[in-house]
Amino acid sequence: MSHQLGRIVSQILHRYFGEIVQNVGYDLFIYGSKSINMIVKTTGLPRTRIVDSLRTLLKFDLATFESTDVFVNYKLLPENILLLIRYPRYLLQMKSKYGSEAEMLVEELLQQASCSATVLIVTVMNKYKDDKEKNINMINLKDTFISLVTAGYIQQAPVAELNEGSEAPILVPVETKVPELDLRDLMQAMANNLADVKDNTYWKVNYDRFHLDFRDDLMIKAITRRIDENAGELMRLLLEQMYLTMAPWAAESCPVPAVELRESARRLADRPLLQQHVDQYLRVIEESGGEFVRRCGDAGGGQYAVCARRAAERLLEALLDHCVTERLGSKAHRIFRLIRSKKYIEEEDIQKNAMLPNKECKELTYKLLEEHFISVQPMRKAASAGGTAKAIYLYHVKIHEVAHTVREMCYRALHNVISVGAHMRQSHARLLDKQRRVRSIVHGMRVRGEPQDNIDDVLETLTPPELAAVSAAEAKLRTLAAAEIELDRALFILTCYFAYPR
Amino acid sequence: MSESNDDQVTEKILNVAKKNPKGISDKDIAAAIPGLSSAELVTAINKLLQQGLFDIYNQGGSLIYRLKSQASKQAVKGADNEEKVVYNLIEEAGNKGIWIRDIRIRSNLANTQLTKVLKSLESKKVIKAVKCVNASKKKVYMLYNLEPDRSISGGAWYQDQDFESEFVEILNRQCLRFLQQRADKIKNNPRGPIVGRTQSYATAAEVQKYITDLGISKVKLEVEDVITILNTLVYDGKAESSVYPDGSKVYRSIESLITPPGLVQVPCGVCPLIHKCCSTGLITPQECKYMSEWLEQ
Repeated sequence: MSHQLGRIVSQILHRYFGEIVQNVGYDLFIYGSKSINMIVKTTGLPRTRIVDSLRTLLKFDLATFESTDVFVNYKLLPENILLLIRYPRYLLQMKSKYGSEAEMLVEELLQQASCSATVLIVTVMNKYKDDKEKNINMINLKDTFISLVTAGYIQQAPVAELNEGSEAPILVPVETKVPELDLRDLMQAMANNLADVKDNTYWKVNYDRFHLDFRDDLMIKAITRRIDENAGELMRLLLEQMYLTMAPWAAESCPVPAVELRESARRLADRPLLQQHVDQYLRVIEESGGEFVRRCGDAGGGQYAVCARRAAERLLEALLDHCVTERLGSKAHRIFRLIRSKKYIEEEDIQKNAMLPNKECKELTYKLLEEHFISVQPMRKAASAGGTAKAIYLYHVKIHEVAHTVREMCYRALHNVISVGAHMRQSHARLLDKQRRVRSIVHGMRVRGEPQDNIDDVLETLTPPELAAVSAAEAKLRTLAAAEIELDRALFILTCYFAYPR
Repeated sequence: MSESNDDQVTEKILNVAKKNPKGISDKDIAAAIPGLSSAELVTAINKLLQQGLFDIYNQGGSLIYRLKSQASKQAVKGADNEEKVVYNLIEEAGNKGIWIRDIRIRSNLANTQLTKVLKSLESKKVIKAVKCVNASKKKVYMLYNLEPDRSISGGAWYQDQDFESEFVEILNRQCLRFLQQRADKIKNNPRGPIVGRTQSYATAAEVQKYITDLGISKVKLEVEDVITILNTLVYDGKAESSVYPDGSKVYRSIESLITPPGLVQVPCGVCPLIHKCCSTGLITPQECKYMSEWLEQ
């Protein structure tokens, strides 16, 4: 709950939902939980507007409510608002794992926030039925939906229940059951009006499942970088085994016997090296794999546990290392890592071990201190004879605090990138608008089959300098969008670390 | 008594003294040169003492003469008593040197006098002052012909008390190159990952040999020196170290666990003004020069 988080949250709300929702959201962010009357007072907006924006926020799970005896208080969920910029990644994940049908379904569901299976499938069908390239059919869509539910990417939305004597409902989470969808019902719904459909089971996207995928991906990639692809594959198998027995976000998994891993490795036909050397790979991952895996017993040919928390810590450290290197140079990076590996260290010892000139080393140490990457702990000698007792200054790294610092920096950078994008879009609004209009006109003309000369005439309304300006602006906006996604990746590593309690 | 006879006696005494570096007594001389009268002995000894070739000690009531070493003979030539005392103290300290304050305390000389003595000894090139690398202001004195100890000079990394950062930098890079040449051996090694990992490891001795063969260092580098360099690589996060069963340290070049994160790909991540950047005011993202330069690329 920092100032920077507030800025970025309000920026994101503005981009996706407009000014009023931004005002309401920011107001809620500042004051914590609040009732409608209070929001009316502080924002000065009409009551109906505020109710509308709260409805939007609640619908997309960006806020919650809580009823006391008299009031209903609303509270913002900033973490969920940050997820809005992660949507492209979710879609990409879906596309690469389950194909474009899953992507379409998830995209629609993300836009609707929550809806029933029938409505979802029919809407997607209607949207793309004219699209020859996609070539989708109802059966595929239905099957994809069911496999997504089975895999946990889509879950049942909580159901509202009314308590006796209270007007405000309570949202109760429901256990997800894999639905049985009848194809005939779907076809009928497609033919008739959607409003008549009687399907009361609502579904929504399960973000957490995606996040698990992202985390696994990070771990597997890290092992692949450190050792090789076979080791990465083995890491994937280990994680799969972990899901069978444990809560996915557990700090450390149950021990997995090596026999089972050997068994699953045998099924991978394209990895002869891994099949041959499972035990050796396990040992190498354990010894030089950044402490992702721990050997915790000899039963059943050796038992291995995945230390997800340590892994999150290691990944965070790698992130911090990159940050320090880029901000203060590789020599500062050396000092930073030296201090971290020695836990507590005196200034003189830093110079000796880092092999840097005296003066430079001091300067870099103080810079690191100034940017809050390291901390200092003075140790005064108690009651020594004479006033000349010198204090010892021990430098150390408080990893949790540094992670906070870097997260703030990420928020700032994200805010800056988004606001620059918004600014640019605003300043080129006229041109971008014109281009869009020309494109739609041309598209319409092509569909109608009008002669090429007429189309060229329309196209020429955009003059060459205008075209150049538009394409330059579009290139910049693309860069900014890419940067946004990359920043979100960095934020994900940080949230992974914070997800494990200390 | 003729001159030549006198010289013969002194020469004989000197020979005896050279054979017994711990010192000789009157009896030893009498045994070595029979038929020497005590008067002759006294003249000879006096002459030698005058020349400053002997030190005279009182041991258990009898006098012991000890031959001074060649260097000390030179040093005290024309020196007064204070200089001799100071010289002895410095000589005792060996190649570790001695701090001026310790000389003062142990010699009981006044500050001004001591500085004068030290200056005169220094001008004669008998002693030299060496700056200590650990404490830049602390000067220690030692005999002119001695090589300062590692703890004083800092070893191979220092030239005239200045840290040679370029030298360290170059060695750092060369060591990394050597490790990187082997790093790929672990990837998809047909003989299994453990063999691969062993092949990608390099011992400090191997690295030292490589560096010596390259001939980039004028100074002879010991294995310990190379280990300090390799350790900086470990702190850089570019290498990891492990220990072989026989106790020797081995090193392997590694890559970071993640690719450069998004934070350092945008200008804000490396911007020195990030903490001063606000929505309004002089520094704003819209007006940011770094941002627009980055987008122009």
